[in-house]
Amino acid sequence: MSALGALLRRELIVELRTKSLLSSMALFAALCVMIVGLGVRGLNGDETFHRFVLAMLWVCSLFACVVGLNRAAVSDHRRAFFSALLLAPHDAANIYASRLVAVLAVLLATQALMVAMAVPMLKLAFFDQPLMLLVVPMADIGILAPGVLLASVTGRIRGGEALLTILLVPVIVPVFLGAAGATDALQAGLGFRGAMPYLLLLGICDTMFAALGVMLFGKLNET
Amino acid sequence: MKADSSKAWVVAIVLAILGFAGVQVTLYLSYFYTPTQVTPGTLWVVTPDGGAPISLYESYRIFFIHLPSAYATASCCALTALGGVLLLLTRKPVWESLVVSAAEVGLCVGALVLLTGTLWADYAWGSGRLGSGWNWEPRLTTMLILWLAFAALVVVRRAVEIQQLRTQVTAVYGILLGPLYPLVSKAIEINQTSHPRNFSDLMSAPEIALTKQIASVGVLVALLALVALRVQWNELARQIRMERSA
Repeated sequence: MSALGALLRRELIVELRTKSLLSSMALFAALCVMIVGLGVRGLNGDETFHRFVLAMLWVCSLFACVVGLNRAAVSDHRRAFFSALLLAPHDAANIYASRLVAVLAVLLATQALMVAMAVPMLKLAFFDQPLMLLVVPMADIGILAPGVLLASVTGRIRGGEALLTILLVPVIVPVFLGAAGATDALQAGLGFRGAMPYLLLLGICDTMFAALGVMLFGKLNET
Repeated sequence: MKADSSKAWVVAIVLAILGFAGVQVTLYLSYFYTPTQVTPGTLWVVTPDGGAPISLYESYRIFFIHLPSAYATASCCALTALGGVLLLLTRKPVWESLVVSAAEVGLCVGALVLLTGTLWADYAWGSGRLGSGWNWEPRLTTMLILWLAFAALVVVRRAVEIQQLRTQVTAVYGILLGPLYPLVSKAIEINQTSHPRNFSDLMSAPEIALTKQIASVGVLVALLALVALRVQWNELARQIRMERSA
């Protein structure tokens, strides 16, 4: 088995046994959907309402990501897993890629739960737009690629949980613009052609951030 | 080593004098050389709500500070990314000073861009009341985010106590800041926008075109001077810390 495969297997097994990421991210997301629902309960279900709800769900996803990334990074550093992984004779980029894929899987599961809650509670018309199944993972990769990189540092800093949000949000604004733009275009019925510029922006951001993450992760964690 | 440092100080001071002179010339030209004429098509702007074009009158003079400051912010963004790459490759402390200095100067010139843009927008797009022109359009929003990213770099450096970790964070975040300016630049193409796409109407007046070119050069030299002085200052502070701890 390749080093990447072994590390990914390790990430997924740890998560399946402890469910530490899924439980914290899913609970946070569920609470967010409930709070948004309480905030908008008196509003009419018109187009503005749907656009607002979708924007709020993107914000909830972002903060669920931050919660998960912090949890994973702090736990690794506290138990010195991270130092042990860095000592192993393989490219540090493998650690980055395996963490990215593992958190992506957990985030997609969390978003599935959010959608399942939002469809009845917030009158979300998610399944009218199958292309959202492409937009969501693309946006997730764009958020997580710099997130995993920065969390590996903030996990080592006292009070770093708050710093991750401060560092991450300005960097992922292009991803957010792309995600919100594509969602809006699909919601307005413009289809794939209308969402194309935003999907292109998401594709560029995903490629750029993932490449930077692979290149910089080892440098950032040299001791 | 000391001779190199003296030369760097001389270069920084010469740049500062040139930059100061450039800014003074820019201010003079923007107030006394450029016209106030209001020929339709030259100094008019289309309002965001699609209404009739309004005359800019004297308000366009803020453009000679706003546009060069935006160029300066872009340069700061490029310098942080360049400094970050060089810091990771060479590990020389001077590149860390460059990243920090460019971020600090970027924070100042970015604030100038946001402030002058908002003041002008209050007049051109809003009701004249402070803040009435801020309409969350893509160019304004992305510029604000870039400014916050500069602030994040400065704040996070202060929160990290371990020197090696601080250097690594500075380098990596400097590199991550790099792609943000192209986003600011392209923001007006992403969505409909009330921000002017180009200034061809304004530039049709030769006095305005010339003043804009002089302003751009003057402010960029002033920016280089500020970054160079700040780098020297940071290097001096680092040397003093090292001597104290020795």
